[in-house]
This record gives sequence, structure tokens and C-alpha cells, in this order.
Amino acid sequence: MKEIVTDQAVRVEGLVKQFDSLTAVDGVSFSVERGEIFGILGPNGAGKTTTLEIIEGLLKPNQGSVSVLGLDVLKSPNNVKARIGVQLQSSAYHDYLTLREILTLLGSFYPKRVAPDKLLEQVGLSDKANSRVNQLSGGQKQRFTVAASLVNDPELVILDEPTTGLDPQARRNLWALVQEIHQRGVTVVMTTHYMEEAEALCQRLAIMDHGRLVTVDTPRNLINKLDAAYTVKLMVANPLTEAQVASLNGGVEVVQAAEGNAYLLRMKNSPKALGTLLEEINRSDISLEHLEVTPVTLEDVFLELTGNELRD
Amino acid sequence: MLILVISNLKMLARNRQATFWAIFFPLLLVVAFGLFDINGIGSGNMTVVDLDGGPRAKLLLQALEQVEILELELPESKSGEDPEFEAIRKVSEGDLDYLVVIPQGFEDAEPAAEGQGPTTVRLVYDSRDQQRNQLVDALVRGLVSDTQPLDNPLPTSQIVATQIFEVPDVDYFDEVLMGLIGLGIMTNSIISIAVRVSTFRNQSILKRLLVTPLPIWKYFAGEIIAHLVLAAIQVAIFLAVGIFAFGASVHGNVGWIFVIALLGTVVFLNIGFILSAWARSPAAASGMGNAVALPMMFFAGAFFSTTTLPWVLPQAALVLPLTPMLEALRDVAIDSAPLWETWPQLGALGIWVAVTAFIASRVFRFG
Repeated sequence: MKEIVTDQAVRVEGLVKQFDSLTAVDGVSFSVERGEIFGILGPNGAGKTTTLEIIEGLLKPNQGSVSVLGLDVLKSPNNVKARIGVQLQSSAYHDYLTLREILTLLGSFYPKRVAPDKLLEQVGLSDKANSRVNQLSGGQKQRFTVAASLVNDPELVILDEPTTGLDPQARRNLWALVQEIHQRGVTVVMTTHYMEEAEALCQRLAIMDHGRLVTVDTPRNLINKLDAAYTVKLMVANPLTEAQVASLNGGVEVVQAAEGNAYLLRMKNSPKALGTLLEEINRSDISLEHLEVTPVTLEDVFLELTGNELRD
Repeated sequence: MLILVISNLKMLARNRQATFWAIFFPLLLVVAFGLFDINGIGSGNMTVVDLDGGPRAKLLLQALEQVEILELELPESKSGEDPEFEAIRKVSEGDLDYLVVIPQGFEDAEPAAEGQGPTTVRLVYDSRDQQRNQLVDALVRGLVSDTQPLDNPLPTSQIVATQIFEVPDVDYFDEVLMGLIGLGIMTNSIISIAVRVSTFRNQSILKRLLVTPLPIWKYFAGEIIAHLVLAAIQVAIFLAVGIFAFGASVHGNVGWIFVIALLGTVVFLNIGFILSAWARSPAAASGMGNAVALPMMFFAGAFFSTTTLPWVLPQAALVLPLTPMLEALRDVAIDSAPLWETWPQLGALGIWVAVTAFIASRVFRFG
């Protein structure tokens, strides 16, 4: 048994979790440094939640080791639980207690606790202290679950899809909240399937698909790795012939020819390339219906790495 | 721990609908049974056997008919049966409250020289309702002496003789009250726990508790203690309504009733935990709870004696947890038994606690 001595917030090695015949997590290793916002990105069913539940001590892995804040989760789950804060995906709270009472109740389980009113103030719900959870809007509810994950003044907060189902405004509010928590020196591990969220919040990203870790890096590096700066989306009247596709291929890569007459092209960062592309289109008699040029985003990275769009 | 229990109690108290069904529904039954109680003052039945048939006897009969607290019934004249004998038998069995026998020769009675003469009216009743007995006794004596000629009255001691049958004071309502306490505690404990746990599981609240360092036993202890407090309140309300509103009598130590009731509560809470493991939704949990509780209510004799059940069912009733609980409650409440005399029932409940706790700990699931 290898002793893990580390000051990393999270370190998982060779994690495998099987449910009957399904392998939900298949040999995942990564580590999270203290003080960073670490994102786990992937479509539904990628194994994100299972990975988090192993880190939280809710599930035991079939193989592999997990340490959180330098402690072995499998050996001393309660010591780990006392020092981390967890927001579960789709977890509700007691219907018949007020927000303040729920926070008091949760706080009573921990040796170290923060005053409920202070927590509510942090998440902007001071005026709702005597309300019940079912009287909150979606965004308020989500902010409350974040507050509930902070009752023990944790060193590490784990948020499982904190913004799923929220409107853009509420989502941005929550981003601000996460950044605020991060600025107080708390390490944040979060899952999401929103690219722009991962890009906006996370210092480093792990991309998961089908239970495997595809890559871990900073959002910028991931984008740079693609070796392309622009994505061009073409909509044409008639499907392109192979010759036409070939003729476009000068510094241009056809990524995807999906859905009828829409083509997704990727180009290197060169002003000339775009001009060349347009000339090519003119010369080859392609009747263009729609043209869209966007900078490369994590969405493209994901597409490149997994061959999938983010399944919602 | 204290915060956990208090929070649980707050939730139970605020879940008004559930509380209504838990407390007020069985309480409605207490009221219903209480209203059907015919043993209170103001409603005794009386049969008059008139062996004389003269005008004076008729006068007495009319006077008795005027009495509001008595329902006068004429003896059924079945051929070959002595109506007087038949009526006395009914009194001795507790089916008839009062019997007045007007003797032959009542019409022209002469004062006997000493003591009871052959023309003495006989009043027969049982020993159960002493308050009403005194009232009726005095009334009948008064009415009989009213029928006497003014010039030649008989001394009251001579005109009415009283015969009292000792009938054990087993009031049906007293028995039913214990049955209702058992029923109320059982349905509330089983259904409340099963529904709460399955609700918490469906909403991932149980999972949320698992990511805190709260030891699991504390969660169970918190639920059980909160429900014990609720059950104690329930028993107190039932007893108070039964005793003060409907005149039920509890002969034994009320403290023991609480002890027995709370021991039974633990069994039913465990059953609730077991059911919650199988129920996929709170609605299913509620249905399962009823499916377990309602047959038990009938088979364990909450309202009716189980001895009339056919086939093996009376024996089957013996192995239900409600049965020893009700037996122990009735032993204490009706027969004034001290707690230690109910040890066979307490032992049976203890075995139930152990067995259900074991099963619950094996089948319970959080997620």
C-alpha cells in the first residue's frame, strides 16, 4: 500500500467504479491543487458524478485510491467529510424547515460551523432566512445549496452541476458566487456540461467521456492544442461534391459534414486563410446560404477530443 | 443531537396534513365510540314485569315511563318462559340495567308486620354504574310510595327491596380506548416513518446527510426519539379526551400505559423503516403502511374480540406485535395490573423490537 503524502486538495489514482455490468469510471487519475477552481467537463453519463461521489466518500471505488486534503478517503471518510463541503446534484432540502433551520441542522453535524445568518448573507438570501426551500426560485435554491455546502467553513467545496437548469442571469450570479468562494482561498471542484461556464470559471479542466479521463489542462492550453483559431460554419444549397470539399482544403480542415448541407471547418490563425476560403467558394460555384466565423471555443475542443457534441 | 430531534419535531409539527391524520383521525374514532357509549347517566334501560296488573301497578308503570333517564322496555312474552326469570338473567349478564317486578297483590297491599312482605316491589340491577344506581333506586322508591294510599302508607323500607348483581365493571369504551391508542400509535408510526424516509430518499436528503460526518446511528436515533415524543403526546391526548370528555376510566397506573405504548412505538417505527426500504415513492410507502396497519388493527383485536375469528386466525393474531401491546395496555388500564405482571407481553414486544431492528438494519438503503 503506497502512502499518499500530499498537500493537494484532491488526488485520485486509477479510479475504477463498476455498477453491475456498467463501468461508470474507468481508470481515472488526476489531482487538484489547493486554491484552484477545477472543472470536470463531460456529457451526461461520462462518469463525472460517480467520480465526485467517490471523492466525497459516498461510493467506494472497485479499484484505485483517493486522497482529499492529504487524507485517505477510504480510511478516514469522516475526517474528510468534516473538512469538505458538498453540493449534490438535484439534492433537495427538508420541506418543513426554514432556510435558517436547515443550516443550523446541517451545521450541528460538524465540529466547526459558520453562523447560518452569515452564510445566507454571503449568498444574498438574508431576507429569505425564514422562508422554506420550496418558496425559492431556481436560482435562489441553487445559491442556497451552495450556502449549505459552506456550513462547516470547508477547505474544499465540491459542486455537482451547480448551474444546470438555471436561466442565464441566475447562472451568472452563481458564477460570481463561486468566484467569491474561490477568492477566500477555498478550493472548488465542480462539474458542468456548459462549455462557457468551464471557460469562465475554471483554472484547469478535466474532460471526461465514457468513464475515461480524456485530458486535463487549462482552458487556454486546451484551445491552443487544437492548432486552429477559427471555426467556419458553412450552409450551402446543395451538398458539396468530394471534389468541392477537396478544393476547400488549403489550410482548412473539414471537421464535420453533419446534418445535410451544413459544414464545419476549422482554420489556423491567418487572415489570408479566410480570404482564400472565400475565393475558393466563389470559384467552385458553391451557392452559399450562410457563413459563420467564430473563434475556437472549448466546444470545439470537446468535439475534437471526444468526437461527440456535448450531449445535453 | 438535540438540534436533530428538535428539527425532526418541527418538521412533524409543520406537516399539518400528516399530523391531522396521525392524531385527529383516531381521535375522531374516540369521539365516535365515545358518543355511542350508552353507559353514561341518562340512558339506562329498564324492564317492568307487572304480575299484578291492577290500577295502582298501571300508575307506577306510567310514572316510570315519565322518567327521562330510563328507557322502559316491556318484557318479551315468549311462550313457556317466565318473563321475570328471563329478565333477571339479562340483568345478571349485564344486558339489562334495571328490572322492576310488581308483585301480585300490589293493589291492596297491607303493611306487613315486620320486614319484607310478599307484596314488596323488587328492584334488580347490576353493580356497574353506582351513580346512576343510587339515582334510580331513590326514584323507584319515591314513585312506589307515591302510589300508596295516603291514609295507609307502607314504610318505604317495606315497599321496595333491592337486589344487586355483581357484574364486573368492564366498560366496552374503556377497552376500545386502549385499542384506539394502539391503532393511533401503530398507523402513525409505521406510515410517518415510511413516508418520511422514502420522501427524504427520493429528494436525496438522505444522501445529503451522508456527505456530512453525522454518524448514521444518530440519524436513526433522531427519528426514533422525535416519533416517541409524538407518540407520547398522542397517548396523552387520547387518554385526556377519553377520560375527560367521555368518562372512560383507567384503573391502572397511567405511567405504565406510556411505557407500554412507547415500547410498541419502537416496533412500529422499525416496521416503518423496513417498509421504506421497499417503497419506491412516498405514495407507495403510505399505501404499504396502511396495508400493514389496517389488517393488524382488526386481527389484533383493537375493537373486537378475536376469539370469534375463523380457522387459525385467532392464533395468527397472537403473533402480531399489536396483540401483546393491546393486551398489556388493557391489563394495566382495566385490570390495574402492575407493569411487571405484563412481562409476557413486554417480552413479546421486546422480541419484536429486536427482530424488526435487525431486519431494518439489513434492508435499509440510503440511495
